[in-house]
Amino acid sequence: MAELKKEDLLKAYRTMREIRDFEERVHKEFATGKIPGFVHLYAGEEAVATGVCSHLTDDDRITSTHRGHGHCIAKGVDIIGMMAEIFGKKTGSCCGKGGSMHIADLEKGMLGANGIVGAGGPLGCGAALAAKFKGKGGVAVVFFGDGASNQGTILESMNLANIWNLPVIFLAENNGYAESTGVKYNVPTPNIADRAAGFNMPGVTVDGNDFFAVYEAAGEAIKRAREGGGPTLLECKTNRFYGHFEGDAMTYKAPGEVKRQREECDCLKIFAAKATAAGLVTAAELEAIDKEVAALIDEAVEKALAAPNPTEADLLTDVYVSY
Amino acid sequence: MHNTKTTVGIIANPLSGRDVRRLVTKASVFQNAEKSNMVLRMLGVLGKLGVDEVFMLPDVSGVASRVIHAMRHGRAAEISAFPRVTFLEMPIRDSADDSLRAAELMVSMGVSVIIVMGGDGTHRVVANASGDTPLLTLSTGTNNVFPEIREATITGLAAGLVASGKVRLKDVASRNKVLRCEVNGSRKDMALVDLGVSTECWIGARALWEASCLTELFVSFAEPDAIGLSSIPALIHPVSRTDAYGLRLVVAPPGEGFMTVEAPIAPGVLLPVSVAEISEVRPKEVFKVETARGTLALDGEREIEFSENDSVKVWLEMDGPVTVDVNKVMLAAAKHHVLVRHHRN
Ligand SMILES: Cc1ncc(C[n+]2csc(CCOP(=O)(O)OP(=O)(O)O)c2C)c(N)n1
Ligand SMILES: [Mg+2]
Repeated sequence: MAELKKEDLLKAYRTMREIRDFEERVHKEFATGKIPGFVHLYAGEEAVATGVCSHLTDDDRITSTHRGHGHCIAKGVDIIGMMAEIFGKKTGSCCGKGGSMHIADLEKGMLGANGIVGAGGPLGCGAALAAKFKGKGGVAVVFFGDGASNQGTILESMNLANIWNLPVIFLAENNGYAESTGVKYNVPTPNIADRAAGFNMPGVTVDGNDFFAVYEAAGEAIKRAREGGGPTLLECKTNRFYGHFEGDAMTYKAPGEVKRQREECDCLKIFAAKATAAGLVTAAELEAIDKEVAALIDEAVEKALAAPNPTEADLLTDVYVSY
Repeated sequence: MHNTKTTVGIIANPLSGRDVRRLVTKASVFQNAEKSNMVLRMLGVLGKLGVDEVFMLPDVSGVASRVIHAMRHGRAAEISAFPRVTFLEMPIRDSADDSLRAAELMVSMGVSVIIVMGGDGTHRVVANASGDTPLLTLSTGTNNVFPEIREATITGLAAGLVASGKVRLKDVASRNKVLRCEVNGSRKDMALVDLGVSTECWIGARALWEASCLTELFVSFAEPDAIGLSSIPALIHPVSRTDAYGLRLVVAPPGEGFMTVEAPIAPGVLLPVSVAEISEVRPKEVFKVETARGTLALDGEREIEFSENDSVKVWLEMDGPVTVDVNKVMLAAAKHHVLVRHHRN
């Protein structure tokens, strides 16, 4: 159980705050009609990406989902570039040609958000296989949702990862819904982690709203993978605060469900309460971070709005990579 | 008395056996399908022994759903022997609160006994509400101390024998000890087997699987063949479930203290633990936790975070949950030929 020092705590809080503010802001900007394409917001799930990525270096790889902003920020992708990408601008992480669902930054080990549900599994196995060949202790983390847990790609990847003993962590973000379908309707076991037994790997479920729970369990799974122990299925139970995509009225959720979750299960509130009660950080220190992050998000939106669109000449660049 | 129904509660925790111990130790993965099978095996014998109705948690994706499926699609001859199965009307939150709420409801409905399926944690939660209602304990996994590891059919049989009055409860039931704790005079909680004090600041992934962060340990009983924290004092000074005292142990830094014990503190894990002090504790003797900041682990799982500003107290009580000794039930059944029919020749 690795000890978290004050600077680790402040860094984790900053990351979670960046994700939250980023998503709250994208929610507002989307309503103005200036953002092209779909966006799926990660607000409510910040402790998962942050707790996991706190253990990773740029040499470790992650694969993401259609709900990828949180994974990007936690993996260190530049927020200014991300915002520009979401606005479809030339200054974006992928020159404005990918948008929300394709943000990637290979230098940071972020192999890309992905619009195909379950596509991260095989990609993550590939990255893990590469890490295994390199032999430097690198790992891959496959983030996927409760809905994706039913995809053949994910299940086949778990099989492959276990027969090849790959350094990969299957990180199930169980937010209770796949679009409008409740997890209890489409997953036959009470926990997604229950499925691990069928692949002969450890399956663990933790409270995904508690950064400390995610951090600890992910730390152990990643350590195990680095040491050659093989894959783990780690399930984090969490909530999404916004609709499946922006514009979803969430008629499938119970009245008051999100309100209760925002009050009782907000990972940022839980983190702040625990970290201050333990006397390791002060409320003033957290407030200072809140201010800095708010300024950063303002700057990101201003820069995105001011940035140029890609031109016709950009259309055919970066489409194929020649080896 | 004759027109009142004989009822039994079954609390099977579908969430048990999924914590981080699967990753950090070699703890077993207990499939929920098997928990449902255990319930079905018990339903068969409970019905045959004259139990009229069984109450269960209504979890939709876990143990109950498979029981419902089996009752709808199973073989008629088998199903017709089942008691009536009623699912409690209560919201499911997928947390420990579900088991607590179910226990409260079952007690208020006056069930004869409650069969609990889960680990130490599930039993601890149920014990918070079971009061005088006797529990039959059934372990679903390998890293438990309080519940019995036993074939469910026999537990069901014992439950049926006691519930139907074929074996007298008072001959086979006994009250357990508990360790109680409170923080600043409120925030009360309890442990059935062991209460560990850890320097870990956070509840985090809950389980306590490293001895290095353990500073103090209280146990209500200590069986040398047990797995987990209670094995530490148990290998020095065994205490039975019926002895009118428990133990307190103070951990020393590695190599210090007056002895080191190699203890199986988790499945597949044998670790040296150095001991500074070990002493018997009497009921109601209150101890102030000496560790300034950390967490309290109740039956092996971190549950309460405390800091320098908090005053944490721990003591032993004799007023824990009532449990039925399945061994004694079956011995009594044998002695009185309860399940025997004599043939006249
Ligand atoms: C292969 C494929 N099938 C269907 C879809 C449509 N789709 C987009 S998101 C989604 C639900 C995913 O749910 P989950 O995996 O739980 O992730 P969450 O949205 O909750 O983060 C679906 C069905 C898709 N994008 N790709
Ligand atoms: Mg989902």
